[in-house]
Amino acid sequence: MLSYALRRLLITIPVVLLSTFLVFGAVTASGDPLQDLRQQPNITQERIDNVRETRGLDDPFPVQYWRWLEQVPTNGFGEYMISPRQILPDLQRVIGNTLQLVIAAEVFAFITAVALGVASAKRQYSIFDYTTTTISFVGFAMPTFWFALLLQVTVVQIFELTGVRILPLANLSSANPGTGLAWLWDRALHLVLPVITLSIVSIAAYSRYMRASMLEVINSDYVRTARAKGLSEGVITRRHAMRNALIPTITVAALSFGGLLSGAIVVEVVFGLDGMGQYFLNQLQRRDPYPIVAWLSVVAVVVMVFNLVADLLYGYLDPRIRYD
Amino acid sequence: MSDPLLSIRGLVTQFDTPDGTVRAVDGVSYDVHPGETVGVVGESGSGKSVTVMTVLGLVPQPPGRVESGEILLEGRDLLELPIEELRKIRGKDVAMIFQDPMTSLNPVLTVGLQIAEAVQTHDPSMSDDQAREKVVELLELVGVPNASDRYDQYPHEYSGGMRQRGMIAMAMANRPKVLIADEPTTALDVTIQAQVLEVLKTAQEETNAGTILITHDLGVIAEMADRVVVMYAGRVVETGTVEEIFHTPRHPYTLGLLSSLPRPDVDLDRLEPIRGQPPSMISLPSGCAFHPRCKLGEGRERCRTETPPLYDLGGGVSSACHFHDEMTDEVARVEEVTGATFDAEDDAT
Repeated sequence: MLSYALRRLLITIPVVLLSTFLVFGAVTASGDPLQDLRQQPNITQERIDNVRETRGLDDPFPVQYWRWLEQVPTNGFGEYMISPRQILPDLQRVIGNTLQLVIAAEVFAFITAVALGVASAKRQYSIFDYTTTTISFVGFAMPTFWFALLLQVTVVQIFELTGVRILPLANLSSANPGTGLAWLWDRALHLVLPVITLSIVSIAAYSRYMRASMLEVINSDYVRTARAKGLSEGVITRRHAMRNALIPTITVAALSFGGLLSGAIVVEVVFGLDGMGQYFLNQLQRRDPYPIVAWLSVVAVVVMVFNLVADLLYGYLDPRIRYD
Repeated sequence: MSDPLLSIRGLVTQFDTPDGTVRAVDGVSYDVHPGETVGVVGESGSGKSVTVMTVLGLVPQPPGRVESGEILLEGRDLLELPIEELRKIRGKDVAMIFQDPMTSLNPVLTVGLQIAEAVQTHDPSMSDDQAREKVVELLELVGVPNASDRYDQYPHEYSGGMRQRGMIAMAMANRPKVLIADEPTTALDVTIQAQVLEVLKTAQEETNAGTILITHDLGVIAEMADRVVVMYAGRVVETGTVEEIFHTPRHPYTLGLLSSLPRPDVDLDRLEPIRGQPPSMISLPSGCAFHPRCKLGEGRERCRTETPPLYDLGGGVSSACHFHDEMTDEVARVEEVTGATFDAEDDAT
């Protein structure tokens, strides 16, 4: 299995290179990376020409790409187009923040969805089942940004009615977050609304998968065998039914992890979080290809690693699957 | 005769379907005594499986529903028991072997663990090591080679025959009083069938369990059963010892089964199949459900209008045919057609 994982990781290298190459081409072709500079009245033509020269913007784009690529390992993912700052420190900061948000959302979504899916499958066609089904479809169809605004408005209304600030509405930390546990608590409170927003679609999707696979499993022959053995319903559900039903659900969850990253773009903008999504939008507006391609490499690696994680989990949960 | 171990009395199990109510089991009664094997035969949909599923409360409700009847295990009515009490009986006093060993074992748990589970559920004081030891013994008993290695293997690493051995080990784990085998060999190769039946015999001798063996294979019945219950369209149509059923059938349906099957012990020149199709359980024929397919009842008003009761012919033999006393002539007619002698003296069964 280790050699399988290594082989899969090695495959990511050419895939990342190819995707960065394509995106680099697309971004350089889509606009003028110096337009920001040009719009500023106190920037001289000389300064613009200077940047054009040092970054070699008149070279063919494969040459530009190669120049950027050369710096990636040695010069912290290269520098921004118009300033000699490294990209890496910014990227590290926003990745750290986004991972907190996305991992919290994924864990929350998965646990909630499994619980909902199991409960509705066990009470198929009950009022509970119909209610969760309806809410799932609403959650699935609802625009994320709108749901985020609804949550914010609700919290504001509660504040206006009762005078209690139950949750912060934006940013990742208070002005003085403190240290240690106090900092952690402050961060957790700030993440509550973003996590709920980000996970709502995932909960809707995963719980449908969980319900469907659970239904299939609880009508299976081996669950009947388990029942004929005299096991209690709790043991049957946990040991025999859920373990089998989790296999497809975990796969879906791991594969959709990349999707959460793109969902995070919207959430981070609405809640003003200093994360990858916010960063990506800013850089995109400036048409600076270097940070965009750096960002993309990270996301590509994350997505592929999680695809690998999905495959490995699949093999762990289902003994019929072996890697060699 | 000794008191029956398990006594099914007038059982009626129905299913509510979108097309109407299906009475899958309609007034079925039969007994199982300690150590004996009762073979239950019948076509698919004759209610033989649903009857035993009802015994263990394994019929999903809804859509299933037990309308009436009693299932007495040593005098206790299983249908009246609360689910917690029934759970103590499942796998302990009454154990079951299912038809398809490919799907009846959980694919993600080791076979050993699944058998150990049956042991430990009913004896929580047993440690994991003790349970393992016992399961390895059981696996050896049912003829699984390298049992202690096989304990840790998953069902997909077992062949079909081995899986069914595992299922039998699971069923006999708690020395049940009643062993129900629901078509235990149907899904297996013919060569494996004989082996698995041997194992089933061993299991039965080991536990002295009263056994209900459900099958549509008359060969299996001849091999294994002491007494036979023949079912058709949810009802018992004939009961008797295995010799009586094979040599002097008292119901045209039983005769039809016998004359549509090549047998090593009876020299058939040609087969006489039962004509027509098994009836739809949603709209059963009036009167005797077998009458549209019956040669004996052909053109007889009574068969179309009056549902025959199960006539007790004495000595444990019974038949649900109005004209059971004409069966000797009917057997003779079929013997004429098929060139066979059913009531032969040789005891090849």
